Amino acid sequence: MRRALLILLVAACGKGAGGGGARDELIAAWTKGGLAPSAFTAAKDSPVGKDCSAGTVNSIDVLVCSYATADEAKAAQDAGLKWVGDTTGIAQVKGTLLIAAADRKKADPTGTTLNKLVKLAP
Amino acid sequence: MEPMRRTTILVALALASASALASDDHGHHFGRQVRFVGIHPIPRAEGGGMCNIEGPHVHIYAANKLEYRDHGGDWYFVGDPVAYKYDGPKYAYKGPHPIHVEAVVGGDPDVEYCYLEGPHFHYFQPEGPDFKMAGDAYFYVGEPPQAFLEARPMYVGINASYKPLVYTRPVVEVEPPSAWIGLRAEFVTPSVVVAAPAVEVITPGVVVVDKHGRGRGHGAVIVGGGAVIGAGVDVHVVAPPPPSISIGVGVGVGVSGGAVIRGGGGGHHGRH
Repeated sequence: MRRALLILLVAACGKGAGGGGARDELIAAWTKGGLAPSAFTAAKDSPVGKDCSAGTVNSIDVLVCSYATADEAKAAQDAGLKWVGDTTGIAQVKGTLLIAAADRKKADPTGTTLNKLVKLAP
Repeated sequence: MEPMRRTTILVALALASASALASDDHGHHFGRQVRFVGIHPIPRAEGGGMCNIEGPHVHIYAANKLEYRDHGGDWYFVGDPVAYKYDGPKYAYKGPHPIHVEAVVGGDPDVEYCYLEGPHFHYFQPEGPDFKMAGDAYFYVGEPPQAFLEARPMYVGINASYKPLVYTRPVVEVEPPSAWIGLRAEFVTPSVVVAAPAVEVITPGVVVVDKHGRGRGHGAVIVGGGAVIGAGVDVHVVAPPPPSISIGVGVGVGVSGGAVIRGGGGGHHGRH
């Protein structure tokens, strides 16, 4: 019983480290590139994916979702655009991550930050 | 209304009407979203300048039909970004040419066409042997595909839109390569004649006196660009006060500009 629990725990940690690791790398790359990301917290019941985190970067709303495969991430792009809504935004795939960003506060009139969100991604 | 302002409004109206066309039948979006790919100008009403997002993205304003092409459901800008204060890397071209859009922004292979006839910039370099560089500018010397020719009437109006835009265009003074597309009959014949700035010189009291000493034209002579005054006719300018010169800029279809020299007894506006 104890052994089974241990296996489950390891498996859960492993899964978290997969999505979280790539996401952490992404956020670290943004910071290194001069952007100012907030803390990202789990986005529960997101229509974009089951493993999503939300935060802001330079006052832009950002959602980062992790998928098992790049194809799954790509398939979620439309859901990402729907999340963006009626404003300037992006929903682009980097590996198994989907980066969705919406400039709802019109903080990035020339799209420079939105462009960096993708260009700086490892 | 000052001419420059009037011109700006005319251009804005032309692009706005084209916008309506471009925003129709462009699916695969949510709500009011319009899908773009690559950098492009931001409408003045939305703040102006350039949008720097290189990949696919959405806005809630429309693209216009003259400056954008559909690239896999995204609007791709084929105009001159320098006209909109773009200050990044740029490459000079002269004349119309194809654009391999996928080489610039990715996606499926897609050839679109730029119909700007004079020197202009793009933010990307061309690829392949169909372009020759002369005088630091790229000239398209390939055989234009049928689609390039057929779509020209739809897009050649971009030249009228750009004519009044004030910005630093590339200066290309070399002779074009012999195979340059701009020398082909299909691209020399204008589909739309763009109005050149009209210069009006108003001169009172111009009298034409024939060899018998008789005055003509009720004291007026009208000289158009390229007009020839016949031999045997003396032209006397009677006490001309300093002429007033007004320069206007017009944009229109089928109207060309020219010099109008108006005498005291009348004037003439027209083609020259």
